[in-house]
Amino acid sequence: MGMQETTATTAPSPQSRRGRLLRRLRDRLAAEGSLGGLLLRRLRDGVIVLLLVVTVIFFLAHVVGNPALVFAPVDATDEHIAKIHRQFGLDRPVTERYWEYLVDLSRLDFGESTWQQRPAIDAVVEALPSTVYLTVVGLAAAAVLGVVPGIVAGARARKPFDKASNLLSVTALSVPNFWLGLLLILLLGVQLGWLPTSGRFETASIVMPALTLGIVHGGRIYQLVRSATFEEMSKPYVTVARSKGLTEWNILRRHVVRNTGVTTATIVGWEYVRMWGGAVFAIEYVFAWPGVGLLTIDAAHRQDFFVLQAAVIIAGAFVIFSNLLIDMGYQFIDRRITAT
Amino acid sequence: MSVTVAKRTGTDPGRTSQHRVWGRLVDMLGSRGWILLVLFLVLLVAASIVPDVFATHDHDAQNLRARLLGPGESSSEGLHLLGTDSLGRDLFSRMVVGTRLTLFIAVMGTLIGAGVGVLFGLLGGYFGGRTDRLLMRLGEAQTAMPMFLVAILLLSLLGPSVGILLVVLPCLVWPIFARVVRAEALRLREETFIEASIATGCSTTTILGRHLLPNVAPRILVLCVVEIGHVMLSEAGLSFLGVGVQPPDTTWGLLISEGRPLLAVAWWLTILPGVLLGISVLVLNLLGRYWEARSGAAG
Repeated sequence: MGMQETTATTAPSPQSRRGRLLRRLRDRLAAEGSLGGLLLRRLRDGVIVLLLVVTVIFFLAHVVGNPALVFAPVDATDEHIAKIHRQFGLDRPVTERYWEYLVDLSRLDFGESTWQQRPAIDAVVEALPSTVYLTVVGLAAAAVLGVVPGIVAGARARKPFDKASNLLSVTALSVPNFWLGLLLILLLGVQLGWLPTSGRFETASIVMPALTLGIVHGGRIYQLVRSATFEEMSKPYVTVARSKGLTEWNILRRHVVRNTGVTTATIVGWEYVRMWGGAVFAIEYVFAWPGVGLLTIDAAHRQDFFVLQAAVIIAGAFVIFSNLLIDMGYQFIDRRITAT
Repeated sequence: MSVTVAKRTGTDPGRTSQHRVWGRLVDMLGSRGWILLVLFLVLLVAASIVPDVFATHDHDAQNLRARLLGPGESSSEGLHLLGTDSLGRDLFSRMVVGTRLTLFIAVMGTLIGAGVGVLFGLLGGYFGGRTDRLLMRLGEAQTAMPMFLVAILLLSLLGPSVGILLVVLPCLVWPIFARVVRAEALRLREETFIEASIATGCSTTTILGRHLLPNVAPRILVLCVVEIGHVMLSEAGLSFLGVGVQPPDTTWGLLISEGRPLLAVAWWLTILPGVLLGISVLVLNLLGRYWEARSGAAG
């Protein structure tokens, strides 16, 4: 790969446009540390993973399971099932069907929802903005709940506030997230009647699901920010700042927080990707928030394979894409960050 | 005979326990605090082996006269410590009986995931090169996928059952084991005792199984304890969503799910199983980090 770099610059001019583009792409992939190379490699990895997931889904659905059973009524006879087999071309070789499946997916054809009587992708695309909205507000809540106490606790370690918030963060990470949502419904919704407990019918509906997400993910952000601040506070320059008479508040505001800024941003960014790993979907279900999670779970209960498949693939593509954006963001915050 | 590591190059446990939140809490536990944690786990294990000793009532016996009794109320059947559900079944007894499956799935799921992760980690770390890149990229990329949705898809495709859960849950935890073991294997393969075993003609299997594995075993054990808690949470989540354990089997996650429609009238059915689950996960976490800090296997 290293060879390519030199050949690209000294390459003779008579060259097709396409060949030049391909060569440049290869150089980009090979060049360690360049922003473009990093993004391209990430994109390539992402596509490979998506392909892998799609293949596993296909294998399970077509080889382990029998797709005809999805369409067949419960009391279908063997002949009936055989007819469905022919109708959908399921009697053809697996490799042929697999190729066709990939071609369909690349055309964004995820099949027809058996439950909603419309293309599965429509249902997912309709639900996606709700999930994105919830994760973004939830991340903001998590950042507020995690970063500020994290800095305070890290700067004033072993004080009562530190001990109390440590215990709180650990508890937030140990209880099931959906249970936390139910607890909030019970306290703020049922007992106090302050907030709407389900759906997305008014502006205030977002408060409780976002708060639940914020508590769960804020717990982890808190722990990491606290560690970073604590470490920064034990560096020599802080001692110097103290000895020249700066107040603790000024040390924190002028030096420590600025130095841990990039770390904090990284922590929050990672947490966004983590959010898509699980918590948000169960929380959507608890609060009947009309996002991808609720759609997926409803589809699972109704055995609607095509919606499930579309949800997994589209959510996966979305996470990979936002991962790329976050990486790109860091490059702009701190030019020292290079590819890993 | 296996060779022990001469020096530990991990981070100094004292320093770690000072700047990490878990470490601070572990310090607060004191030097004998772990006895309490272990005692709690022993109780859980005992409850899953001989539930009849702990259960105050028959967990399946319905008593429609004693429906939705609050914690501490009594019926003709005696005191209901944690109240009863909509069919008059004793919640405490149901929680006791649910312990067995909850623990079984969490422990088995973690062990299977650990097995796969350790194998991949050893192979990747020891051989390096292409194998390593492939395995690590797989794990890394998997953590960037919405695996919870994938789990829901798999469970609904294959039909929710305990067996399928034990396939799906390990998929969620193996990358963590693989990463830790790989890092250790990378470090250890440069040590002289590995060089010596190669020189004396040990087979690769012997080196991996008898020399590398015993040296990473303490870290794996610590990680297992912590991950059992996480697998417990995942199982509870999937069961809560209706794609995990199915009635009449019972786990704590399923109990929360069953109590949910009655949240406004009988809060104990939802909240109390969650409290037990939360405490168990907390105890496992604390115990894992406690050992980590004491054994100097922190990193």
